[in-house]
Amino acid sequence: MPTVRLRDVSEYPEAAQKLFELSKSWFAYDFITPPAMSRVMAWDPEFGGPHGRAMKRAMTSGEFTRAEKEMVAAVVSGVNACHY
Amino acid sequence: MVGVTNALNVVADGLPADVLPPVPEATAGAEARAVLDEIRDFYGELPAPFLTLARDPRYLSDLWSAVRRAFDDQRLTRRLKEALAFAVSLTSRSRFGAGFHLAQMRRLGIGDAGVMEIVGVTQMFSSYTKIADTLQLESDMADIAPIDPTPAPGGQPAVVRSPAGPHRRGRQ
Repeated sequence: MPTVRLRDVSEYPEAAQKLFELSKSWFAYDFITPPAMSRVMAWDPEFGGPHGRAMKRAMTSGEFTRAEKEMVAAVVSGVNACHY
Repeated sequence: MVGVTNALNVVADGLPADVLPPVPEATAGAEARAVLDEIRDFYGELPAPFLTLARDPRYLSDLWSAVRRAFDDQRLTRRLKEALAFAVSLTSRSRFGAGFHLAQMRRLGIGDAGVMEIVGVTQMFSSYTKIADTLQLESDMADIAPIDPTPAPGGQPAVVRSPAGPHRRGRQ
């Protein structure tokens, strides 16, 4: 059970709604509701914005492909014992 | 790969030379030296933990076989595996592992930009995992990557229970 109330999508401003739409193409997945992490990060656009841009820059294919980077993310999550 | 990376890091970081000195290579027995030569060929150097483990040549030999199997080119490339091991070592704060696997990444041709990509992903997901755990977020993306019923190499396909009775899934 989350320790904070996750806001409903309708509670976010239009700019955040656009980001939620973009996350569908980023994950190539048609979410019914934006993922909890996206909703948390959109609480404070001045934090979530640059954090999200840094994430996107880190995950974009370069010397390593996006798929390879997803594996890196998976092992980091595993070592941190993060189920989410 | 994650497991054996940690296995080497634990010995390297937890047993420094002043606690349990590595066996001088020249004094190792023939069995251990043969394994150490193989390790040097694979890495281009002889990582210190293997010299510590050379006290027991049979243990060294079996452990090395497992490490080599985990890191060899198979479905995933060795290049990617060294990057994953670097990320594991950074995340588990292993000074030995971070330095060793960074050196191996460079040896396999990964440049500064590639190294920074792995540092960036490791850092970003160290952030996301802590946010998720602190807020106790429930996983809501499981449908993207559902549990893979494919068995481990040599294993039997998973038996999936359903109201209609058990049936097997996975690659046959």
